[in-house]
Amino acid sequence: MFVDTVIEDKALHKPVFLIYLSVTVLAIFFALNFTNTLFGEFLRPVIGDPTESGFFGRFAVSLVLTIIFVLNLFAISFFKLKAQVAIVWIELFLLFLAFAYSFDLKMSFIQSRVPLMISRGLFTTIYISAISIVIATVIAVIGAIAKLSNNGFAYAISSFYTSLFRGLPLLLQLFLIYKGLPQLGFMVDAVPAAITALSLCYGAYMTEIFRAGIQSIPKGQWEASRALGFKFNLILRKIILPQAIPIIIPPTGNQFIAMLKDSSLASVLGVWELMYLARTLGQRDFRHMEMLLTAAMIYWALTIVLEVIQARIEEKYKQKS
Amino acid sequence: MSNIFGFKKSSIVLATVFLSISMTAKAGIVYDYIIEQNKLIIATDANWAPFSYIDDDGVMQGFDVEVGREIAKRMGVEAQFITPDWDVITAGNWNARWDVSVGSMTPTASRSEVLNFPAVYYYTPAAFAVHTDSPITTLAGLNGKNVCTTAASTWEMYLQGDLDMLNAPAFTYDVTPGTITSLKDGSMCADDTRLGAGVRNDGFIDSVPMIQGAIEAGYPIRFLGDPAFHEPLSLATDLGNNDPELDAELARIIAEMQKDYTLSLLSIQHFKNADGSSEDYTVAY
Repeated sequence: MFVDTVIEDKALHKPVFLIYLSVTVLAIFFALNFTNTLFGEFLRPVIGDPTESGFFGRFAVSLVLTIIFVLNLFAISFFKLKAQVAIVWIELFLLFLAFAYSFDLKMSFIQSRVPLMISRGLFTTIYISAISIVIATVIAVIGAIAKLSNNGFAYAISSFYTSLFRGLPLLLQLFLIYKGLPQLGFMVDAVPAAITALSLCYGAYMTEIFRAGIQSIPKGQWEASRALGFKFNLILRKIILPQAIPIIIPPTGNQFIAMLKDSSLASVLGVWELMYLARTLGQRDFRHMEMLLTAAMIYWALTIVLEVIQARIEEKYKQKS
Repeated sequence: MSNIFGFKKSSIVLATVFLSISMTAKAGIVYDYIIEQNKLIIATDANWAPFSYIDDDGVMQGFDVEVGREIAKRMGVEAQFITPDWDVITAGNWNARWDVSVGSMTPTASRSEVLNFPAVYYYTPAAFAVHTDSPITTLAGLNGKNVCTTAASTWEMYLQGDLDMLNAPAFTYDVTPGTITSLKDGSMCADDTRLGAGVRNDGFIDSVPMIQGAIEAGYPIRFLGDPAFHEPLSLATDLGNNDPELDAELARIIAEMQKDYTLSLLSIQHFKNADGSSEDYTVAY
């Protein structure tokens, strides 16, 4: 982002702002009422039985939480930017863990099923997504070129395709392919149906991303290349795409991450991927939260990996230009 | 490769079926194919402990699954399980993706428009359950309340007053809910009911063994009154791929398993009562 050279005092170091902040936070905590949670238990020595502490208990809990919150912010404001980011990340993560912990999870249950979720579920999720990503990218390149061409048929087909597949919910497409194609005599099993639906749907979104990326390159680049006597294919490959790719990468990375998670829709067709196992493995022992949270952590970890890869690629193209 | 593109067994079956119908209604295509491929593909929703679920090693287990394995064994072929959602199975039109459903399906008039029911293999009672703190004490107490159930199930049909079971014991509609909440499977209802009486629903209806399992897992729920109705549970095959030879073979195997007490033993093994005693659900009411 734009680096501002006008440096003002930090808002958190102004008393007036601190007072406004404290009052607002206090009001929010008071409205949400944390008396009957873990925080109320901590304050039991002061307020007595949390369930019977009434207005005083509610106010006391809110006040303590507000003081902790504001002091925390105030303390963090003295650190350098990188340290601030790290501290806030760790604090938010601890809050998430506390949230998960409050479900009274049975860790041994999770441990006994994690190997299966990874060997079977994660593997299936990754291979469905990976194949779909490759096919969707190919579709997107062809679709974008067709959409930009002067050929009436190519434009009509590709614009119809993007309109249709962006216009239908992915789940609906999945059912249309899984149930509809066999009626036409094309037999597709659950996994190929899921891959087809994901590829076609995301191919449509990515077609638009690629088209916009290519169009964002100034017309002068085409004209200059033409003037030098280059052919269309060469211009596209050597001049336009190298400039368009850095623009295309961030939104495409977003699509990959979204697709990874949308592959969970295949669970409806009984494919044993991560989401399906998360829903099913807890059934016998009626421990659903354990499996759902485990799957949540695995999906999150996968997404972080993709984010890191995307950041690396962006960095690489930034250096080049 | 054939697997990736999806043109496998099933498409060939389909083509053969079309061909055979166009020539003469010749029986036995699906059955012949099962024998030829040495593989019986069995559909069962894996979200129904203790009937059908996935164990720690990723292997299918449960009463239905063991019945399915036994059927394949007696046919002399391998059993392969496939786990589509319940409403995908009951909707019929399987397109030869699987050969038979061993999934505790109650034969009803509406389902028999798309499915065949070659053999009933056991009978379970359906019952209502409420939160232990619930003020409701009788089935009539649920009238006008919010009752949860599984989408596309016989329990849902019962709540709608539209249960058209075939060859089933007589029953009466004792509950007319104000709202019916239909979810993906029974355990989602149990999860909602455990939150408290009247929080997301006032109670739910499911099979007795499933409710029993939830109670044993520590859910704060209790049975409400006597079982609402008893339902026969059957194998199912696709009416579209009508194969009398397969149906006859399935019926023969089930009759044999009843005769040598295999079914009773499996039932006793999988279904327990509250006091820990075993339950034989294979006897007709």
